[in-house]
Amino acid sequence: MIDALRFKEELFVLLDQLYDSQKENIEAAAQAFKECIEKDGVVHVFGSGHSVGLGIDIKNRVGALVPIHIMEMSDFVTRGNISVEEFMDRKNIFERKPGVAKQLYDLYDIRPQDIFIVISNSGINGIVIDIADLAKKNGHKVIIITSMKHTLAEEPRHPSGKKLYEFGDIVIDNCGPHGDALIQTDGVEKVSSVSSICNNCVAQSMAARTVELLKEDRFELPVLNGDKAHDDALKKKYEGRA
Amino acid sequence: MGEIIKVYNEAVESEKYHMDIMKQYFDLVKMKVDEAYDLQKDKIERIAEMFGRCMENGGVVQLFGVNHGEEFVNELNYRAGGIAPFHGLKLKELILKEMIRQEDIDSGKIYEDVSVADRFEEIYELDDRDMYCLVSFYGNEPLLLEIAKRVKERGQKLVGVVNKKSYDAHDGRLLQYCDEWLDMCAEEPDTALCLEGVKVGQLSSTVSNCIAQMLTSEIYAWFEKQGKRAPVLLSANIKGADVHNDSLTDPYGRRIR
Repeated sequence: MIDALRFKEELFVLLDQLYDSQKENIEAAAQAFKECIEKDGVVHVFGSGHSVGLGIDIKNRVGALVPIHIMEMSDFVTRGNISVEEFMDRKNIFERKPGVAKQLYDLYDIRPQDIFIVISNSGINGIVIDIADLAKKNGHKVIIITSMKHTLAEEPRHPSGKKLYEFGDIVIDNCGPHGDALIQTDGVEKVSSVSSICNNCVAQSMAARTVELLKEDRFELPVLNGDKAHDDALKKKYEGRA
Repeated sequence: MGEIIKVYNEAVESEKYHMDIMKQYFDLVKMKVDEAYDLQKDKIERIAEMFGRCMENGGVVQLFGVNHGEEFVNELNYRAGGIAPFHGLKLKELILKEMIRQEDIDSGKIYEDVSVADRFEEIYELDDRDMYCLVSFYGNEPLLLEIAKRVKERGQKLVGVVNKKSYDAHDGRLLQYCDEWLDMCAEEPDTALCLEGVKVGQLSSTVSNCIAQMLTSEIYAWFEKQGKRAPVLLSANIKGADVHNDSLTDPYGRRIR
């Protein structure tokens, strides 16, 4: 029988697995995040499809760290480089065009002390691998968030023959199942996906631990607190970068 | 359940509780999802039935989320393991079409501009058979209320998702238009963890995402009870998924993509 209760119960088992198996990796990511912020760096987040939700969840709200920048494909249009028609063309999918990752990367003010979080459940799509590869080649620390069950079940598609996790200095497995949906039906399909929930838990716990580490170092916290003057000053500090 | 969370929060606030902060977040998610389920399981079932009936009748469930409420929209909209006939009303698409400006989203001004409801009606193929699900932490933004008002004027069904504590504290009005509603069950303000006075860790979106997936399971169950196959989307990375997913979405044309 499939219902809300079954989803909740299976999800809780998964969340326990996620914490138990990944806490050291989340801790390592928080350490990297802390070191980056202490050197006046910014964390650039890039994700394919729904994966970008991770960046959105830990940004622009009370209690959120400010030095987080989301790399978005739509920036090609809003920054005037590409027409809406070309960007939205379903027959000639924009993100699959050669060289797109480099063009996106070059849109931003990326500094040597910055680090990257690259997220993809399957970890086989070209552009996410290209971004991770570019970041590594430019000497940045790269944190990968992926589903190891999913990525190991897929054939690589990238010309390098590699998958996303192979580019990570730190790899966090979101512990999601192959195909992302959790509940097996009587038929071929599965229902109710979990990657956004797991990724949010990873991102929120990582961000909270980062703040804790910054506090231990007595570093001034770049955290929004709802006070307009304080928050505006913080946003000003990272203007154009985050 | 509320009492357990109160005791837990007091322990964390008073710093008698020295568990690592990452574990605290995971524990709080589970507690809040338990609370959301225990208090709202009947509502989740009823809303899943409303969604299912709308879809069975050729309708699409139109989704709109304010600020982080958009995460709930993304959780239901064209998702692996999700149900096909959902569609999100996205401000991002209005930006791409140069109808609104990014800075008005960043400043929050866009949610005060009721004319954005006209823009959505211009660019999307909306249908009388559709129903709506509107998501807002506070439930008080003029644009949100304008969309809600128009939905009810057309006699369509409406579900609201708000954070009830914040809704009550900030003069929320969305629920007066809603046939059913759900509570995100987060705190007001939305910070769950405390580090010697510094508040961090938001729960509303994570709990809302769990509610969205509980709804998905219940919609699937509703179709099963009708003896029908639920229109479930497969992960695009699974072989044959494109053909399967297109067969579910093509009949709707531009209404859901």
